[in-house]
Amino acid sequence: MLTAEQNDELTQVAAGTPMGELLRRYWYPVAFTRELEEFPVRPVRLLGEDFALFKTPRRRYGILPEACPHRRASLAYGVAEADGLRCPYHGWLFGVDGACLDQPAEREETNFRSRVRAEAGVAQELGGLVWAYIGPSPAPELPRFDVFVMDGVRDIGWTDLPCNFVQIMENAVDPHHTEWLHGRFFEFMARHQGFDAPASFGKKHVKVGFDAFEWGIIKRRVVEGASEEDDDWKIGHPLVFPYNMRVGGANIEQMQIRVPVDRTTTRFMLYTVHAPAGVEYPPQPTVPDYEIPVYDSHGRHRVDYVEGQDMMAWVTQGPITDRTVEHLGRSDIGVTMLRRMFKENMSSVARGEDPLGVYRDYRSRIDLPCEKNKFDSGAVFAIDFIDRASSRFSPQADALKKLHIRAHENRKAAAE
Amino acid sequence: MTALSSGNGAGADVHRGWFPADAERHRRDAPRYCPACAAALSLADGGRGLVTEYWTGQDRVFVSFCGACGWSGDIVLAARVTGHEAAD
Repeated sequence: MLTAEQNDELTQVAAGTPMGELLRRYWYPVAFTRELEEFPVRPVRLLGEDFALFKTPRRRYGILPEACPHRRASLAYGVAEADGLRCPYHGWLFGVDGACLDQPAEREETNFRSRVRAEAGVAQELGGLVWAYIGPSPAPELPRFDVFVMDGVRDIGWTDLPCNFVQIMENAVDPHHTEWLHGRFFEFMARHQGFDAPASFGKKHVKVGFDAFEWGIIKRRVVEGASEEDDDWKIGHPLVFPYNMRVGGANIEQMQIRVPVDRTTTRFMLYTVHAPAGVEYPPQPTVPDYEIPVYDSHGRHRVDYVEGQDMMAWVTQGPITDRTVEHLGRSDIGVTMLRRMFKENMSSVARGEDPLGVYRDYRSRIDLPCEKNKFDSGAVFAIDFIDRASSRFSPQADALKKLHIRAHENRKAAAE
Repeated sequence: MTALSSGNGAGADVHRGWFPADAERHRRDAPRYCPACAAALSLADGGRGLVTEYWTGQDRVFVSFCGACGWSGDIVLAARVTGHEAAD
């Protein structure tokens, strides 16, 4: 339970608010690489602000506020040129650093051009995504987390959800929901709708634990039949502060990404790398992305797959969950820990310090702790994952299953 | 009780049944000052802290953070103090 003021503060994204300032210290994926290959300029909304994202013919990425500093026309309709983005209205040209490089209708001898600039962010490509940083300069390093740079077959499911991102992140430190939402509820819906629910998600939690670490919070669990020697406890998996969760198991590695588009809209992305040993991965000139369904034809939530169940739980809390009338119990201590982490890092930013997870020394790969043997269920998890989670909507779902089966057979043959 | 501002997702429970009384109790009983430095915790008092309440048995636990000095800890409103309890 929080006061209304605390809930208000925790859920803000706007510049000038403590939470909005904290969130502006991080990089966010704002487009798929293939989108800018298909057309080099597109509108982007991030943290409640509108931008024009572009790629120059010299393959440089840039992000500028959408409204042109001249007469406020949209730069998202701009012309991508070698040196930057040209406004479609009167042709003013801005470089990727926001400098005004050309004002065609103005006289050459004036210094007007040097008095105008766009408040540029920074944009880079990594792992099939275009990332943007719109906070104060200098920009920190874009974290090259393992899933974005590792070998394997990539697959990205996504959707836009009508709710604040914090209630989605609270789900990431709530292990108990798994056995109910993806266990009991899944089994109940399966029985009534006539499909098979996976058994691996419904195991009862015996113990949960949370540890703060350099990238966020490591979540641990012991499920019935397992022990503290098993991966789920010994390794666990992390909430990557402030907007990601790293999960995986059975040769599937995933980052669940929750981008605060604005205060009540969150871009939910499931960035998955299928990386089974014992098989050669096919080349992927373009990383496939696909929209995952949130609602059925009657406007009801689709709850016949894992993430559909999660999205139902997040969205039905309302655009901003009302924490003044919630009732947390001891099983919610991960949620209290996350809220405190947000607040601690708002304070760090207010003191002029870098918050958790912002770093400035380049690293080619950042490995995150993540269990391999998920729910103590072995290779079954890989098939459950593709059949009963968002990957089932992937255009390459069948190929992915074949990849895992072939790899399994190859490993088995090699062992004999 | 202070109502949520419009557009803040305030649900019907803010004004329904026993929910408002719990919200009011939270507002009344949540620690207002830091036990370490005495700075205000509550935003309403001009503080920079955060207090999240959870319930365990008969106890109410206020997970607290002070934005002024960085102190963090749990403050428990306990219905009963129990001695000789086996350690976890």
